[in-house]
Amino acid sequence: MKNIHLFAWPAVLALVLAFLPLAAFSQSPPPNRIAIVVSTLNNPWFVVLADTAKQRATELGYDATVFDSQNDTAKESANFDNIIAAHYQAILFNPTDASGSVANALKAKRAGIPVFCIDREINSTNAATSQLLSDSYAGCVKLGRYFVKTVGKQGDYVELLGLVGDNNTWNRSKGFHSVVDRFPGLKMVAQQSADFDRAKGLEVMESMLQAHPDIKAVFCGNDAMAMGAYQALLTAGRENQVKVFGFDGADDVVRLIAAGKIEATGMQFPKLMARQAAEFADEYIKGRHDFPAKIPVPVELVTHENVSQFGEYGKK
Amino acid sequence: MRLVRWLILVLFLAALAWRWPLFHLLPLQAARQQKMAALFDPGQFAAKFWKDRLLPSLPAAAPASSLIQAIQTNRAAARKKFGRSVGLGTDYFYFLSGTGKVVSATADQVSIACLPPYTNADLAIAIGPVFGDALRDGSGLLNINDYPNSQDFNAISAALDHLSETQVLPGVKSQARVGLTVRLAGCAEVDDESTDLRPLNLVPILFEAAPAP
Repeated sequence: MKNIHLFAWPAVLALVLAFLPLAAFSQSPPPNRIAIVVSTLNNPWFVVLADTAKQRATELGYDATVFDSQNDTAKESANFDNIIAAHYQAILFNPTDASGSVANALKAKRAGIPVFCIDREINSTNAATSQLLSDSYAGCVKLGRYFVKTVGKQGDYVELLGLVGDNNTWNRSKGFHSVVDRFPGLKMVAQQSADFDRAKGLEVMESMLQAHPDIKAVFCGNDAMAMGAYQALLTAGRENQVKVFGFDGADDVVRLIAAGKIEATGMQFPKLMARQAAEFADEYIKGRHDFPAKIPVPVELVTHENVSQFGEYGKK
Repeated sequence: MRLVRWLILVLFLAALAWRWPLFHLLPLQAARQQKMAALFDPGQFAAKFWKDRLLPSLPAAAPASSLIQAIQTNRAAARKKFGRSVGLGTDYFYFLSGTGKVVSATADQVSIACLPPYTNADLAIAIGPVFGDALRDGSGLLNINDYPNSQDFNAISAALDHLSETQVLPGVKSQARVGLTVRLAGCAEVDDESTDLRPLNLVPILFEAAPAP
């Protein structure tokens, strides 16, 4: 009997030791993970937004993963399904569609995962925990005033719109037109969507130039389209006759403003928004739950006169 | 007998359909009108807001003379005491009310002094189109969080600007003459402190002749 005890106790001990790590693993809290869902990574501006959010989340001690929705609400929905299944603790969300993305935010909310929108809005005040939104309307009011100042009160111009399902597209267009439409001598002879995309901006601008060779300016709803439009003007040899106005504060456009090739843009501060969203997510995880539903982030006008103050997607 | 049962059933179903129809036929025009009525009307909202909330809130606005004095003494302290910011912005707004004396009046701008000896232009009212969010955001009475869609919130801004331009500016233009004492109220946005504080660019809510101070 004594011999049995002698052999049994080490065996029991070995068994306990073998299962100890497993037991410890099952008791440990889930890893700290934050998901960053971005509308597209096919635009440097959104890459900066995603990279900054990821960097800040990592600094705060989280394992951060970026998901690209490729401007497709179906892909965005699949991203959310994966994030919910993987039990992420928070989502930093740059939506693809103001109305179409509400369901995804609600899905995460039902799963107990807070959603913090960055830059783009969803049309709901109770789906996301908080939304950090560029004040596109006010920014384009400033841009519209500068447009009138530099183009003058007479002349034809064209407009390149962004994604038609995005509120930013219309807030920018309406802010711009709230000023420019007050000057009857300024006539918009064409307005077309180029989906916030540089290649489409180039293509749409080429066809607009063929139909309206005498335009004095082009207003673009983002800087990627402004770059495409400028490229079309270069190819047509019209870059000195047509003034280009963008919106975003992308580095390549800021450089072209400094070089006197593009007139102006609206600086949106993607790094500020991304960092703040990551900090909000961290605060939420640590217990704070009282966030304002929407927080507007101002847009600053970047022109030849003040371009030296800007760079690296923000103020120097 | 069976036929009668069927007939009763058909009549019963017909009565149900008559009482609670499964669908309604509407002329296209009427359907369009119903849809428009359900949409947010910023013009109507702004007119009601102006009359029922903005004008009654003027007594709560910063006294113009105290504000100008505070800006001249310490702009940071003035901002802290009287200013209002929205979101993460560095821009801020003042909502003010008081009396002053017109010191210059041109076709483009009317300038007003609020402090003795009433010779310096402390406030400026531009004559022409009104732009920006000073009226919407300056008073603090409207909150973006009450609007699920920011396009509606922005449309309010344009509608309030339109009211100032069509209801107040014509009076400014017709009455303003150098030396006139006026009672006024409005909002100002400070984007760049080096240019926007002296004078403060006022979007007017009220402008009327008043007894001399």
